[in-house]
Amino acid sequence: MSSQRTAVENLGARGRSWGRIALVLGIAGLALGLWLGSARGDGFRRFEHAWLVSCLFFLSLSLGALFFVIIQHLVRAGWSVVVRRVAEIVAANTLVTALLFAPLVVQLLRGDSSLWPWADANTVHGNPLLEGKAGFLEPRFFALRCVLYFGIWILLGRWLLRRSTEQDTAQDAKPTLALERRAAPAMVAYALSVNFGAFDILMTLEPTWASTIFGVCFFAGSVIGFFALSILLLRFLQARGFMRASVGVEHYHDLGKFLFAFVFFWGYVSFSQFMLIWYADMPEETFWFRERFHGTWANVSWVLLFGHFVLPFAALLSRHTKRALGVLAFLAVWMLCMHAVELFWLVMPTAEKDGALVSGMDAACFVAVGGIWFFALARLAGERSLVPVGDPRLPESLAFENS
Amino acid sequence: MAESQPALQSLVAEFDDVDSVSAAARAVRDAGFQHFDVYSPFPIHGIERSMGLRATRLPWIVLGMGLTGTTLALFFQWWANAHDYPFKISAKPLFGIPANIPITFEFTVLLAAFGAFFGMLVLNRLPEHHNELFDNPRFRRATDDGFFLAVEARDARFDTRRTRELLQSFSKHPVVECHASTESRAFPIWVRAALAGAGALALLPFAGIVNARFRDATSPAFHLIKDMDSQPRYRAQAANPYFADGRAQRPDVAGAVAFDHFLTDPKTLTGRDGENFCGTIPLPVSDQTMLRGQQRFAVYCTPCHGQAGYGDGLVAQRAANLQEPNWVPPASLHDPVVRARAVGQIFDTIRNGVRTMPAYGRQIGIEDSWAIVAYVRALQRSQNATVEDVPPAERASLGTR
Repeated sequence: MSSQRTAVENLGARGRSWGRIALVLGIAGLALGLWLGSARGDGFRRFEHAWLVSCLFFLSLSLGALFFVIIQHLVRAGWSVVVRRVAEIVAANTLVTALLFAPLVVQLLRGDSSLWPWADANTVHGNPLLEGKAGFLEPRFFALRCVLYFGIWILLGRWLLRRSTEQDTAQDAKPTLALERRAAPAMVAYALSVNFGAFDILMTLEPTWASTIFGVCFFAGSVIGFFALSILLLRFLQARGFMRASVGVEHYHDLGKFLFAFVFFWGYVSFSQFMLIWYADMPEETFWFRERFHGTWANVSWVLLFGHFVLPFAALLSRHTKRALGVLAFLAVWMLCMHAVELFWLVMPTAEKDGALVSGMDAACFVAVGGIWFFALARLAGERSLVPVGDPRLPESLAFENS
Repeated sequence: MAESQPALQSLVAEFDDVDSVSAAARAVRDAGFQHFDVYSPFPIHGIERSMGLRATRLPWIVLGMGLTGTTLALFFQWWANAHDYPFKISAKPLFGIPANIPITFEFTVLLAAFGAFFGMLVLNRLPEHHNELFDNPRFRRATDDGFFLAVEARDARFDTRRTRELLQSFSKHPVVECHASTESRAFPIWVRAALAGAGALALLPFAGIVNARFRDATSPAFHLIKDMDSQPRYRAQAANPYFADGRAQRPDVAGAVAFDHFLTDPKTLTGRDGENFCGTIPLPVSDQTMLRGQQRFAVYCTPCHGQAGYGDGLVAQRAANLQEPNWVPPASLHDPVVRARAVGQIFDTIRNGVRTMPAYGRQIGIEDSWAIVAYVRALQRSQNATVEDVPPAERASLGTR
């Protein structure tokens, strides 16, 4: 209800110590993952898949955050100001993901086709579908596109965070107005880059398969991942004494509503993709789902249907679960796990044809990428205020109430 | 007094802003009142807590209606497509969940929306065509800039004097009494008549259905949308006084010649030579004929007889899977009985059908039918061939002997 500025809060020394812990875990995970990967003796083929899943998981959290931040500026949202800074920091944390992802592209340029089979001339030769795509699926052009996608994401995330931080100390609303003005073209750039990025990086793992809604499915999962992470980060920070005066149950309620909405959106688009392929029953399309219903992969598919859609939909339907912070935090953890399962399910059937197998290497890769990613996140947060204290809509956000 | 003054309905206090009406609502709530309401030009955040309202039951109505929609849609699709009139096309299960999800989803949303809208009306006791509060001209400000709080006289804690004092202590405006309307609460007679008339009209279609269902019609069906069903033209064999012979159907002009093919040979047209079927194809057979026959066979015959003619086409396979009781399996073209048949009989079967095989005479032309016959003959020979049938020059390429 008050319009006074909240005290500037930042992570400071605690952020640095959390970052150090994350970095140690990340490096340990990296060493363990590399050792386990080399012990397999498959030329790091399986390791590359596990590494891709982990990179995509943490990349998707930033992409979901990017979407959230841009759309808040686009619609000039008032309620979300107090939770926006955390999202901005997550959205800006893509440079580290680009660096972690880069070795996969370097391997591709060196002629390693274990991840993207279209890079192997023997696979392409004699396959009219792949020969037709050969001009587009070409390692150097692919690398160029990756640079473009990551470039857009890094620039967008950094710009949103920089302008928003400027507003903390600005005397007028210029930074906010600039953000609002450029949010629309930013959203266009975001939509195109995420869609084509998903096509390039994820869908071409099966280069003969194509689904035009695939990028939207990846986007939906990314946004779910971000909202779940956002709820957990805010709970974590509040449990350690940060942001207690600014973020309340009303803000969690709205984040929960977004989580609920995107759980349904994910179910809607994923089912649309499945139903059209099921109904048309064309062998060149159905094989992608056949692989995912083969052996133990079928169990993973069923887990996704119920765990990623039906159960969380039912659980988040009620207003009470979105306002009971313990329940909401549990559902956020659940959705993050399901998001990881979904990415594993999207990537791994090309490497594990016979059935779903999770190994210690997968966990090690996850800890490696996650540790380094959280280290970079803590550094980005640094001495920055955790709440956009200079935002002209801050009072509206502090007084926000769901009726 | 009681006759001249109608019963007291409520005491109404007027306020100028949200804060004062909310404070008054909290005081009335804390005094233990149950039957009171706040009127404001816009929704007030937190007023439900100030008034001590219990949480709405509307979500449960919406959930119940939504689940009803899910169940009804799934049940009806199962009943229509898999039970009452099994939908036996394509290689899909009769009741495949994925195919039924879109309609189920739409119907769930539809009934949930109905539940939300009509549930809201019912819970709010709407529509209410008149309320005594409207008798007070100042109350109209409730849609503009006024805030009102009305405590109803039926509340157990209501006491005219003490309640008035309580309300007055929060309001700068005088607390006014609201009395029951002297006008009748009933709908005017013309509204009731119109509603009854509309209700009766709404029953007419059902009466029509019942009538059509249980009575034999003697006249043609009522034809509302005619499209191009009835056209101003003469039918074959109809009378037309315009012509001297009175017939609408005109004979060919004397000496008219068909400009297209003109097949007249009865053997070519019927496949029969007198009483017996022809033993040879009465048209010249070339490579072109064989290719045409292969292509027509693939279009018309393979669905049942299969690519190689063994009677294992997709339709036959599906009928076997469904264990259709009335299905006659298509003959294998390599059955000795079929192989022994004269070409004329195969031609006749294509033209006129046999058992449950329909007649294809209308779809397939005479020449094309003979082309198919030629192809069937070649197919039969190919499936019962020996090495001797292969020209000696080609034998080496087979890799045998």
